[in-house]
Amino acid sequence: MSDSAVRPAPAEEWEDLMLQLREQPQARPRPFFYQRVRARTAAETAAESPGLPGWLRRPAYAVLCGAVVLALSGDGAALRPAAGGPGGAMGLGSPPARPLPR
Amino acid sequence: MAYQVPSFVANSCPTKVRASAPAADADLVAQLQSGSEAAFRVLVERYQDRIYRTVLALLHSPEEAEDVAQEVFVEVYQTVARFRGEAAFSTWLYQLATSRALKNRRRARAKKRFAYFTSLLGFDNDVLHELPDHAHPLALLEGQQQLRLLLDYVARLPGPQQVAFTLRHEQELSYEEIAAVLHTSVSAVESLLFRARQTLRKHLQPPFRHV
Repeated sequence: MSDSAVRPAPAEEWEDLMLQLREQPQARPRPFFYQRVRARTAAETAAESPGLPGWLRRPAYAVLCGAVVLALSGDGAALRPAAGGPGGAMGLGSPPARPLPR
Repeated sequence: MAYQVPSFVANSCPTKVRASAPAADADLVAQLQSGSEAAFRVLVERYQDRIYRTVLALLHSPEEAEDVAQEVFVEVYQTVARFRGEAAFSTWLYQLATSRALKNRRRARAKKRFAYFTSLLGFDNDVLHELPDHAHPLALLEGQQQLRLLLDYVARLPGPQQVAFTLRHEQELSYEEIAAVLHTSVSAVESLLFRARQTLRKHLQPPFRHV
């Protein structure tokens, strides 16, 4: 294989290409860009309620946090199967029933 | 003995055009830090085109570029109080823009890979579409074709090389400015650009050979 097969592109053509790159039509954002940025900053500011930390405002974290609190509080009645069934709300909370004396 | 101008200084001509910009920016940033909406507006309108073009060059999607450019300015608005002015305001903007754009690009590629694998496993029946090519037939003339090919290969460069190439050849930043944006040295920027050009010239070689 000859050296010409791996030689780099001629410098002038490379420079021409770089010139084309610089002279290509300049893209611009759509009109009223500032207004959209401003609306976004305003929306984000409004979304920040002072009492809650940022991570708690994300729904997934909020739900997870709620579930953890519920689990730790021991009041998991809402998560248990309906009362009356095996291991229902009444059954789980009370000690196992003794067999009646004959 | 004649003083020899270092290569990176010789390469920094475009900076001279914007020589007065940093001082003006510093004033506006100070005003913004004290809550001036007008200063924010001036800064956004001054830099929106440059930031949008930089992000567009890295993402190749006008919608994503617009979104990321907006995020950059929102971040500026929210965190300007912490800006100490150790670097130029424009450097900070380019840092935010390029890092967000690269992050978006990584996320998009990961999503594309995930979609590809799920389609292979038959989890969904969506066809993976390539981005539509809206180029006018005239744009496929030889010169334009070369340019499109170049841009395609630029998009495939590793992140830092792509950022360095874009900032140098599209934004015409000096080597020093690029080094500041990338948190690296001027020699590292020279190396990144050298490798980027070498890769691009190697890929663009066949059409050049026929000329």
